Amino acid sequence: MKLLADERDIKFVLYEQLHVEELCKYPAYSDFSQELFDMVIDQAEKLAEKELYPANKLGDQQGCRFEDGVVRAPEAFHKAYRHYCEGGWLAIADPPEVGGQGLPFVVANAALEFFSAANWALIMYPGLTHGAARLLQKYGTPRLQNIYMYKMFSGEWGGTMCLTEPGAGSDVGNLTTRAVRNADGTYAIQGQKIFISSGMHDLTENIVHMVLARIEGAPRGTRGISIFLVPRLRVDENGNLVENDVVCSGIEHKMGIHGSATCSLNFGENGNCVGYLMGQENKGMRIMFDMMNEARLFVGMQGLGHASAAYLHALQYAKERLQGAPVERMKDAAAPRVPIIDHPDVRRMLMFMKSSTEAMRAMLHLAAYCIDRERVAESEEERELFQGHVDLLIPICKSVGSDLGFRVCETAIQVYGGYGFISEYPVEQFLRDCKIASLYEGTNGIQALDLIGRKLTMKRGQLIKNALKTTREMLIKFRKNFRLNELAQIYEEAEENLVQVTKFFALKSMTDEFHVPVLYAKPYLDLFGDVVMGFVLLWQAHIADRRLQEIYRDHNAKDEKAQKRLIQENRSAAFYFGKIASAQFFINQVLTQAAGKARGIMNNDKSPLEVPVDGFVLG
Amino acid sequence: MLEDLLKKGGLAVNIAVLLKQTPDTESVIRIAGDGKSIVTDDLKWIINPYDEFAVEVALRLKEKHGGSVVIVSWGPQRVVESIRTALAMGADSGVLIDDEALEGSDSLGVAKALAAAVQELNPDIVLCGSRAVDYDEGQRGAMVAELLGWPHLALGVAVDSDGSKVQIDRPIEGGKVAAEADLPAVATLGGSHAVWNPRYASLPGIMKAKKKPLANKKLADLGVDPSECGAGAAKIRVTALEMPPERAAGRIINGDLDTAGKARELVRALHEEAKVI
Repeated sequence: MKLLADERDIKFVLYEQLHVEELCKYPAYSDFSQELFDMVIDQAEKLAEKELYPANKLGDQQGCRFEDGVVRAPEAFHKAYRHYCEGGWLAIADPPEVGGQGLPFVVANAALEFFSAANWALIMYPGLTHGAARLLQKYGTPRLQNIYMYKMFSGEWGGTMCLTEPGAGSDVGNLTTRAVRNADGTYAIQGQKIFISSGMHDLTENIVHMVLARIEGAPRGTRGISIFLVPRLRVDENGNLVENDVVCSGIEHKMGIHGSATCSLNFGENGNCVGYLMGQENKGMRIMFDMMNEARLFVGMQGLGHASAAYLHALQYAKERLQGAPVERMKDAAAPRVPIIDHPDVRRMLMFMKSSTEAMRAMLHLAAYCIDRERVAESEEERELFQGHVDLLIPICKSVGSDLGFRVCETAIQVYGGYGFISEYPVEQFLRDCKIASLYEGTNGIQALDLIGRKLTMKRGQLIKNALKTTREMLIKFRKNFRLNELAQIYEEAEENLVQVTKFFALKSMTDEFHVPVLYAKPYLDLFGDVVMGFVLLWQAHIADRRLQEIYRDHNAKDEKAQKRLIQENRSAAFYFGKIASAQFFINQVLTQAAGKARGIMNNDKSPLEVPVDGFVLG
Repeated sequence: MLEDLLKKGGLAVNIAVLLKQTPDTESVIRIAGDGKSIVTDDLKWIINPYDEFAVEVALRLKEKHGGSVVIVSWGPQRVVESIRTALAMGADSGVLIDDEALEGSDSLGVAKALAAAVQELNPDIVLCGSRAVDYDEGQRGAMVAELLGWPHLALGVAVDSDGSKVQIDRPIEGGKVAAEADLPAVATLGGSHAVWNPRYASLPGIMKAKKKPLANKKLADLGVDPSECGAGAAKIRVTALEMPPERAAGRIINGDLDTAGKARELVRALHEEAKVI
């Protein structure tokens, strides 16, 4: 059994749920076919299994080393990184003009699921490079693109995003890195950045930083921020690589992703650091927002990757680990020991992991698919519709992917029991590696603010209205299946709860109690996530039930007994039965709590704000 | 062509790789109700790993000497993905013998079809794995060689060719054999993944593969009488499949004992219970 990601379920999402093969009818993807997508996904899985995953634990144990101003990535990463770049995986969905393969974004996302499950610390390097290269592609001059971009898309050079400073984290507007105009149109960069992933390492010869800085005289806050391309080694007029006054002053020692170099960088200590403006002056934040959707989806994929690997490892362990007697013979000392998957409590944990992982997978690939639909849209209206879906889904994908991903890793450890806590088994590393996903690329608190402050109010609430219109149309179809009626009912109630809270927020935001939506933004995002996941699982159950009934018919399994036997013997029947079970479990166990969660928010409890600081504890 | 020869320092070789599609080695295999076959619905299929070594060898020989690599396989249309994967690794073209009449064939029936396809392609070297990870019959290469009247070099772990001969190394108990044969010849590959390290198909390779020629053939196209293949002509019948017995739970020597005590208990258990010492 492969233990990184469930390829069968990925293909279910791609072909049976989203029908991504139909993207091939659009001119942009007309060169491709389902057969080709399958090959891409199979090869991604192979590379992940054979090269990336074997380096995962080694990278965790060795970590990055900082010696004499040089940062060394784990030794085991070099070979895997080379294979990754040589295979062309860094630019799967980028246009051929920049050296990419031009595949649909959703197919790239499916490949990413294997990579992120196999070795997230490693995938950070090309991931950051890709983000920086995309920014250069969109906002750089042709000259800069010629010098830097192609080598980034091929992975020959690395890239980073340099936002955070000691005094500017979530409050990015507070940054102090300065840019001074030079006579030749370049800028002199000076400042200190911290927590820079892939900021310095030895996997590539050169690293191209995208640095947020304030041009002299620019307004304070986020309105005065610009973005600069600042290479570690700049290409001089003779085409030689020369030092650009970028120095690494140290790396962080972290809870997880030890193999990813998290660096402090000093720019222009000697007044010799050249930066090149991306886009226009003071438009840095707008550019960041433009790049943000893909970056945040990427982090959501991290959570999914860890969850997926953690679930499959725990499942295998539960099938092999013998412990305890069967529940019906609990007091019989002579009873045979059974694998722990036979214990109801373990079953429940596995179902939580299965349904959560599958729900996240469907949600994240749906978001990626909407990005594709936005790209290939044939009218402005259609493009706007899908862009709206993406904008709405992104903070949920990022936040739920990371938070629920973490919970799944935690549950995996619980399934392993004490063995899960020791480093001999891989699940504790998954948990440690996963934690950062709720923190970087905008903490999950920031995601919640993005959802209520930007996404709900965008186009006067049109985003959520469009989303609800879509789900309600599809629900009519699901409702026609009487076997799913009860689940659809629970879903509809939960969706209604979400609508009520949304209206509650809209009203409160217009009163002097506007703090309340801010206070409960995160629980609201979580509720939203539950509803989205409940919906995609109900959708899957609708498809799976149809397939399962077909298999019953094909095998002439008319009564319950024959059907029970069939799901034991027939792999496809077992799979579809499992899909329906995921929906049942999630909707019954999670979605039924929506009413309570909604009530918790709408009770308008302001005590967290009213309690004096001394009331937290008398110090 | 002459330039090619001078540059490569040898004669170009045209190679046919006989490739079998097998269930993924990581798949959970289940025996079907008839007790003689496996459940194949929703199964994942891969290139037989030993045949993947053959693809790698063929590509290395082509890189060294020039020439071409054609993939020959048989089975239903799902086999196309495996052939395309080999094309994505760098092979030039493919032939799939997709004929219902082949269903239920034994090794000889398959070998007849493959030999006919090879004859038509007229390569200098035929390569394939020495065995397949599904039924492990180990006969395909030898039978094709026999049907063609070509020499068969078995179980190579190193292969080279100068365009007129093919040489292999074969490990034997305590040493190795170096053997060669004049072309045309069949060589089958032994070794392991670590010996050959077959290359990954790159994304650009996958894109190119979709445009490479892949021919579908029926037995009749190859001049093979369908009655010579298939279940009716099979001389070997699989009578039963059986899963390996379930492993019993391991036993942990009492953790309260000191090291010497544990050792004593281990020796006692191995002697009296397991009876292995």
